[in-house]
Amino acid sequence: MCSVDELEGLEKGAEANWDNYLKAYYGKPTSGKTWSGFDLKEIYGPRDREGKDYEKGIGEAGQYPFTRGIHSDMFRGRYWTRREVIGMGSPADTNDRVKVLVEHGGTGLNTIADITYEMGLDTDHPWAVNEVGLTGVNITHIHDMETLTEGVPLDKVSWSLITASPSAAATMAQYVAVGQNRGYDISKLRGSVQNDPIHFRYCGFRPACPLDLSIRLGCDVMEYCTRDMPKWYYTTVNMYDLREQGITAPQEVAFGFGIAMIYVDELIRRGLSIDEFGPRFTFYVSCHVDLFEEVAKIRAARRLWARFMKEKYGAKNPQAMQFRFAVHTAGCSLIPQQPLNNIVRISYEALAAVLGGVQSLHCCSYDEAICLPTEKGHLQALRTQQILAYETGVCNVADPLGGSYYVEELTDKVEEEVLRIMKQVEDVGGMEEAIRTEWLDREFEKEALMRQKEIDERERLVVGVNIFTTEPETQTPLGVQRISSESAKKQIDETRELKRTRNINKVKDSIKRLREDGEEGRNVLPAMIEATKALTTTGEMLGTVRMAMGYSYDPMNIIESPF
Amino acid sequence: MAGEKKIKVVISKVGLDGHDRGAKVISTLLKEAGMEVVYLGTYQMPEDIIRAAIDEDADVIGVSYLSGEHLVFTPKIIDEMKKHGLDDVLFIAGGVIPPEDIPSLKEIGINEIFMAGSMTKPIVEYIQSHVRKK
Repeated sequence: MCSVDELEGLEKGAEANWDNYLKAYYGKPTSGKTWSGFDLKEIYGPRDREGKDYEKGIGEAGQYPFTRGIHSDMFRGRYWTRREVIGMGSPADTNDRVKVLVEHGGTGLNTIADITYEMGLDTDHPWAVNEVGLTGVNITHIHDMETLTEGVPLDKVSWSLITASPSAAATMAQYVAVGQNRGYDISKLRGSVQNDPIHFRYCGFRPACPLDLSIRLGCDVMEYCTRDMPKWYYTTVNMYDLREQGITAPQEVAFGFGIAMIYVDELIRRGLSIDEFGPRFTFYVSCHVDLFEEVAKIRAARRLWARFMKEKYGAKNPQAMQFRFAVHTAGCSLIPQQPLNNIVRISYEALAAVLGGVQSLHCCSYDEAICLPTEKGHLQALRTQQILAYETGVCNVADPLGGSYYVEELTDKVEEEVLRIMKQVEDVGGMEEAIRTEWLDREFEKEALMRQKEIDERERLVVGVNIFTTEPETQTPLGVQRISSESAKKQIDETRELKRTRNINKVKDSIKRLREDGEEGRNVLPAMIEATKALTTTGEMLGTVRMAMGYSYDPMNIIESPF
Repeated sequence: MAGEKKIKVVISKVGLDGHDRGAKVISTLLKEAGMEVVYLGTYQMPEDIIRAAIDEDADVIGVSYLSGEHLVFTPKIIDEMKKHGLDDVLFIAGGVIPPEDIPSLKEIGINEIFMAGSMTKPIVEYIQSHVRKK
């Protein structure tokens, strides 16, 4: 970071002159702080590590507390999964893009729900019709899921279904229903569902995510998968989305763990054992642009999670102590100014993920600050991963930054700060209380404001925003992704046609069973799977469960239950 | 300056998109710059925004886009503004908007667009120099 006076003259519109040259030539960082504000020394050495025990505090990769990675051989055993998020237009449009990326070496299928689906609205809902498919894909009924997965051997692939809200229960039901109808043994299917409804209230989905409903449906999915789909990762607790609110790296971990432990507590209350469900618990982590801090954050998170699972929850199975995670490079670090530079930011962020020992990686596309990824943008992001994996040699050795005086020290610092923030959450009454009282909202708002002020005051520099600026671009280098309004229209028409022609008695029977299971506190997944097969829709299933829990049928309060 | 009326701004999200970090931050920063800001929050339809702008006698309407919904909602907001005679109200937008779309959005009547990664100062200065004189 630089001081303001050094930068005068480097802003937009300044005349090119030799004074600027001299300012740039003598430029130097003046505040030795990490992105999250940790004060740093000029150099770290053995004295910084005195009294720190390697075996106990760090340990080998593959061994408790897993600071250095969850596998002893890390990427020599297998590269991380190269998983680009895809979701646009209709299920058919999304299926096409999935196949393009697989053809080019993508190894994880990864589809994301749009706003309307996350909100739990059918495509024909009055609020949905304007926005179907703009930011992902809506699955209203089983035929949509059939189209999304068309031509894909579900027993061979690992599919990551990104639905975070209570709609994740519908997503799981729809995936299982299609799998069973096609004759697959669902206990053998591999993949994950995001299913972190608690955090999703912070992503603009509050009407769909009342806290008790979020815990109930989230844990119904987790419990169902633990029992019936042992190869499935039933949640990806989304610390990434929390970080995107503008918070720091330690806050990301502390708040993410707070939310994760709400689910863990509930699963234990339901009688599941930590050793049984723990191995399938996963996280979604952000990698921002401060490389060393992100690596330290990941290492600290791994050590802390292992200790919590062992010491707080009494886990005995080492797999239940392992912090498994996917990384999404930080969307909020990308800017529309000088857009090709985003490729560089994404590369550093992806490098942080890999040096941190990631299991599965999504690299943002360079154009994400402008539009949904274009096909060329998507492919370039995949290529960034492939260059890292196949060319750079970063995969040869586990935890290559382990033992660095600096990185070990920063790992400890992040860990201390995470624990301090977790204590702060405890002091306001625990995570559920922090959510209910909107303490957490206020933290997010405070931090987001600070981030913008840092940029306005040039305490934080972003090339193209507050230093080395140029006239705004009028063209996006590789074009702009457009969403076909025809796709949305067709999908909406299909929903209307399905609702008109299906056997309504079967639908009503399925709703009755779902309502009863909802009211009587049984796991609703089995009833949702049957309802999906009876052509009951997402909005109808979720609305029924909402009513069973005392909420309005429609989160937007426009339509009434037709049943 | 005593007696001078503050510039009044209505900030809103439109439709279902709930990415509201930018909308909230700019609301606070415009307040700190001396303006009176009414933040309507998420899940507002064009009619809701126009009604609020009339009720509040707003000088500026600012909407925050992210998901490509600018193509759907901008013409609707402009239609509503015309219908209610808000011709002298400044209409600005911010967020994730492709540069390719900016000329056509301006042509149909949006006054200015500030893309993601904008600094606060140019936004404040733009409003101060373009707002209707009272």
